Amino acid sequence: MSTSKPIHMRGVCKSFRYFSLHDLDLDLEPGEVMGLVGPNGAGKSTTIRLAMGLLAADRGEVRVLGHPMPQDQAQAKRDIGYVSADMRLLPNASLGWHMRLVASLYPDWDEAYARTLLSHFNLHPGQSARSLSLGEQTKAALLLALARRPRLLILDEPTTGLDPVARHEVLSQLMEVMLDDRRAILFSSHNTADVERICDRITFIDRGRVVASDDTGRFLDSWRRIELELAPGSEPPTVPGLVAHTGDGSFHALTVRQFDESLLEQLGPDVRGVQRMSLEEIFVASVMQHRQERRP
Amino acid sequence: MNPVTRTLIAKELYLHRWTMLGMAVAAALAAGLCAFGRLAFNVGAIAWITAVIAGGVMLAIYGVGQERRDNSLQFVLSLPISPRQYVLAKLAGLLLAYLLPWLVAAGSAALLVVLSTAIPDGMLAYVAVLSGFLLANFGVVLAGALLVRSEGAMTAVIIVTNMGVSIFMFVVGALPGIRDHLGDPAPVWNTTILAVLLAEALVLASALLLPLLSAARRRDFL
Repeated sequence: MSTSKPIHMRGVCKSFRYFSLHDLDLDLEPGEVMGLVGPNGAGKSTTIRLAMGLLAADRGEVRVLGHPMPQDQAQAKRDIGYVSADMRLLPNASLGWHMRLVASLYPDWDEAYARTLLSHFNLHPGQSARSLSLGEQTKAALLLALARRPRLLILDEPTTGLDPVARHEVLSQLMEVMLDDRRAILFSSHNTADVERICDRITFIDRGRVVASDDTGRFLDSWRRIELELAPGSEPPTVPGLVAHTGDGSFHALTVRQFDESLLEQLGPDVRGVQRMSLEEIFVASVMQHRQERRP
Repeated sequence: MNPVTRTLIAKELYLHRWTMLGMAVAAALAAGLCAFGRLAFNVGAIAWITAVIAGGVMLAIYGVGQERRDNSLQFVLSLPISPRQYVLAKLAGLLLAYLLPWLVAAGSAALLVVLSTAIPDGMLAYVAVLSGFLLANFGVVLAGALLVRSEGAMTAVIIVTNMGVSIFMFVVGALPGIRDHLGDPAPVWNTTILAVLLAEALVLASALLLPLLSAARRRDFL
């Protein structure tokens, strides 16, 4: 039933002066980890703020954990843990004070887990929020979100600006959270390596529109770069799902998004190689194709 | 009142405890200074007004503006509250954070007038309307901080409200119903004083109501 989904968005539009989100459809299932991937300014944070009720859609339906947003945001946020890259704790209070504040508002606060996270992240309750570095701020915000034991975690670029060690610590914790299959996570990033590591479903977004959305495995399985060697001057045949074609003399490279083995039979002996594509390559190819299609 | 709103009100009192203490101590000391002669009275009176105004401006700037600027507003809004509950908690929390030292400031000024033989008790009514004005003034600054988003507009609100204090002192202090009784041996609570107090109460109530009404209609909170 759509209303019980952690996130359900249908035909959501939101316009600002220089940016618009167009007809966004997004569904996050219980237990699912969805990566929302897009370049800077694609609409990831807008989508997340709509889901959090911090922005109201101009048109369309936004339901989170069955609650209409933003009207029911106070209720919905009882089961949401939210962390964003630019979120900061209250500078004049200590981390311990923040922990007590959040614990007093969430009956499911898990103090033992919070202590474990403190030790794992090498944070100290007496530290003033003002003295925390960027990485420590993110880890502290994540601690405060995770120890609530929320049904839904919404993470807006939580690894942005973190050093590799801090990023590893954050991602490792998220991978532990994923073991609980009742929880859903929406994870936005422009770092495809992070997304590939933890997400089982990916939605690409660009210039306010969803470009593609699929299981991570299916994305990786269905995209290929096929290298062909053709007679000079000949053009490669038309193939289904062709996204990009580059040619240099007799050598051609085709990027396809609906790859299956029968395609190789169709292309015959001209095939010189078939390469799997990284998520970053798939993302860039999807975005570039989307932009080309929308060019007037 | 919602328990989350209550917690957030307590949060304001905790976070601004040093500002509250500083304002209360500074105002009480300034009022005490007024008892030591004419020059000391002038210096003390200016210090008292400065403490009461500065305390309010600091509460509004650090309590609302800086929370937005530092992005700690995102943390607060991640808690289970609606924008309306957030605004209510801000208004109630910061008003309470101001009221406590304001009571110390107004009380110490009233005590000064009552205890000092050099200051006629007729000044008590003026202390009441001036204190009331400063409270209403804080309400306007707080409403401004919650309603306007740009720093320039907030600076304008602070400048205008600060100028308002001087204008109030000159204009209201010159009203015959007030001026003519400043030197009386006992305070006179005439219709002029009561009208000014009523106007201040109305300004304060409107200032506090406006952000609540606006928050209920606001579609985007970040």
